Amino acid sequence: MIGWFDANLVSILNGFAIGSLLFILAVGLSIVFGMMDVLNLAHGALFLVGAYLAWDLLSGGATWGGFLAALGIAALVGLIAGAGLSLMTEPLARRPILDQALLTLGVSLVIAELLSIIYGNDALSVGAPPGLSGSISVAGNSYPTYRLMLIGVGLLLAAVVFYVVERTSVGALVRASVADREMVSAMGIDNRKVKLAVLGIGSMLATTAGVLAAPVYGARPGLDDSILILALVVIVIGGLGSVKGAFIGAMIIGQVESLGRALLPDIASFILFGTLALVLVLRPRGLFGPKKLAGA
Amino acid sequence: MTPPVLVRRRVITTFGAGALALVLAACGGGSLGGDEGDGGSDGGGGGGTIKVGLVIPQAGVYTPLGEDMQQGWDLWLEQNDGMLGNYEVETVIADEGEGPDTGVPAIQRLLQQEDVDVVVGIVNSATALGAADQFTEAQKLLVVTNAGAGAITADAASPYVWRTSFTNAQIAAAMGQHLADEGVGPVYVMAPDYAAGQEVAAGFTTAYEEGGGTIAGQQLTPFGTTQDYQPFLSGVRSSGAAATFSFYSGGEAVSFVQQYDSFGLKADIPLYGSGFLTEGSVLDAQGESAVGVQTTLHYSTEIDNEANQSFVEAYQAAYDELPTVFGMTTFDTANVLDKALEDAEGLSGDELSAALDGLGEIEDSPRGPWTFNGQTPEQTVYLREVTDEGGTLINSVVSDLGVFEQPLG
Repeated sequence: MIGWFDANLVSILNGFAIGSLLFILAVGLSIVFGMMDVLNLAHGALFLVGAYLAWDLLSGGATWGGFLAALGIAALVGLIAGAGLSLMTEPLARRPILDQALLTLGVSLVIAELLSIIYGNDALSVGAPPGLSGSISVAGNSYPTYRLMLIGVGLLLAAVVFYVVERTSVGALVRASVADREMVSAMGIDNRKVKLAVLGIGSMLATTAGVLAAPVYGARPGLDDSILILALVVIVIGGLGSVKGAFIGAMIIGQVESLGRALLPDIASFILFGTLALVLVLRPRGLFGPKKLAGA
Repeated sequence: MTPPVLVRRRVITTFGAGALALVLAACGGGSLGGDEGDGGSDGGGGGGTIKVGLVIPQAGVYTPLGEDMQQGWDLWLEQNDGMLGNYEVETVIADEGEGPDTGVPAIQRLLQQEDVDVVVGIVNSATALGAADQFTEAQKLLVVTNAGAGAITADAASPYVWRTSFTNAQIAAAMGQHLADEGVGPVYVMAPDYAAGQEVAAGFTTAYEEGGGTIAGQQLTPFGTTQDYQPFLSGVRSSGAAATFSFYSGGEAVSFVQQYDSFGLKADIPLYGSGFLTEGSVLDAQGESAVGVQTTLHYSTEIDNEANQSFVEAYQAAYDELPTVFGMTTFDTANVLDKALEDAEGLSGDELSAALDGLGEIEDSPRGPWTFNGQTPEQTVYLREVTDEGGTLINSVVSDLGVFEQPLG
């Protein structure tokens, strides 16, 4: 057992790093979908915007100033983009959920094409900030320092989001909206403002996740789709609108993508969707999904 | 490289590519040619106009390759007053897109609506294979300038389909033979799990085992969906391999080479690969992680011959960047067509094929002398190593591994 653990330590660590990243990305998507019934397919494109922003500010040589500036600008861009998306989906609020999804899909295609025009189609790589760019030895295996930091950032963010949603009055509003949006609206709370705020913050998490992921995944056309699929799998597994679900789902997918692929390389292509199928068969509303969806 | 059949298997992207292809098709191919010189007159022996369809990716992940190919083509025509043989060239560009779903219809349009005499280009092997029958039917010449699937000039060969680039297995076999001669020990093989990756892995394994080497393990990674190679890299370490041979291209090559370094494998287990691993724009993105990686390819900007020096100089002067193998091959293709057209009786597929067949050695190619053998190049393959020359990464030539034909069977 110890031997097995030792041999797979790097894969397990890596699973946590990927899981952390996926959590930051998926939690926004999950809450927006769970609360507002807006399936924001532009989430992946916003992630890619963050990645390209990181490249803009770090390609000349990675510095902490550049990295933090990239995070700040990305957060701002995310907020504005989220507000824009909120306004765009407003006229479709009474229409079926698929109409809004189509709109955000269109937005994501436009963003991806604009990025391709601005940055070209080459794969770009982004350096990690100084001090984190090397590798350190973890029980005799070398592991990139930056990914270790990602685990820390992911856990910290998870704690913050969890606290806000579970322990504050804003969080109570969020949870109430997930449970029964009409009732919240009937109690005099303006749905549109809630949506504006939730989409803004959700999109902000997407763009910052893009910056954080840039030193790992770089920036290239197509990354938006690959990452969006992963995030969708995470929220389906974890359950819509649940912070705990997004966290557990992200950690599971992180381990599946890392440890699972290392242990079962021959079925690496199927293992992600195999897990998804398994969860859907055993628990169609996801591990921590709201009950209302089960009957809907 | 044989470019991938399906790059992003996402419904979303397929929508996008499809829509884009429709738009491009509706706009019609841009007509472009080095016809400023206006040198060709209609009279005179063999004179007239030749209409060439240049099929290159203008959308999708292979767009950078398409740009390089067009630059190579334009450069040759500029240097030669827009003439191939005694013919004035009219180039019609068609967008190949990412796969056969866009590429094959684009080629069909060139043949049927534009009525071109010759088609040049094609990055994706599946597109080349899918379009080959059209050329046999139309009895027109296709010169493939990239797509490396062995079948194009083997199992699925047509007398009208020629290739000026390489075959996947040819490049990989050269490395297999070289590493066997060096006696590096057990080698781990990694490639993406699609046609080209499988051909490269098989080509390497066959040659390496024939030379007496042993394979420590093989891993074909899911193609186009692998962001993180760490899970597979731990397999490399636990296999006890003394070296790794790999083939990736584009974004996958960037992630793979960087992660191979950051997980500490590069220091212990040297990385070898097919030349596309470190070719063109991916090399800049890989950065320091790529330094020391050795690859085989039929070209490097650093090959020491007169034709290459003047090509590299002219290319840099025109486009302010180093040429890639993609630009070189298309440039060279124009050169080959020029020679063939001087000998050809006319522009039919049969006449042009006969002329290509009679060319013998192409002496003035930037890649060094080569000949057609089985309608695909028999050429020198070079061992290259990535070095940092004052901040610029280049593929220095380590040695010349000898002349290789396409491995059959």
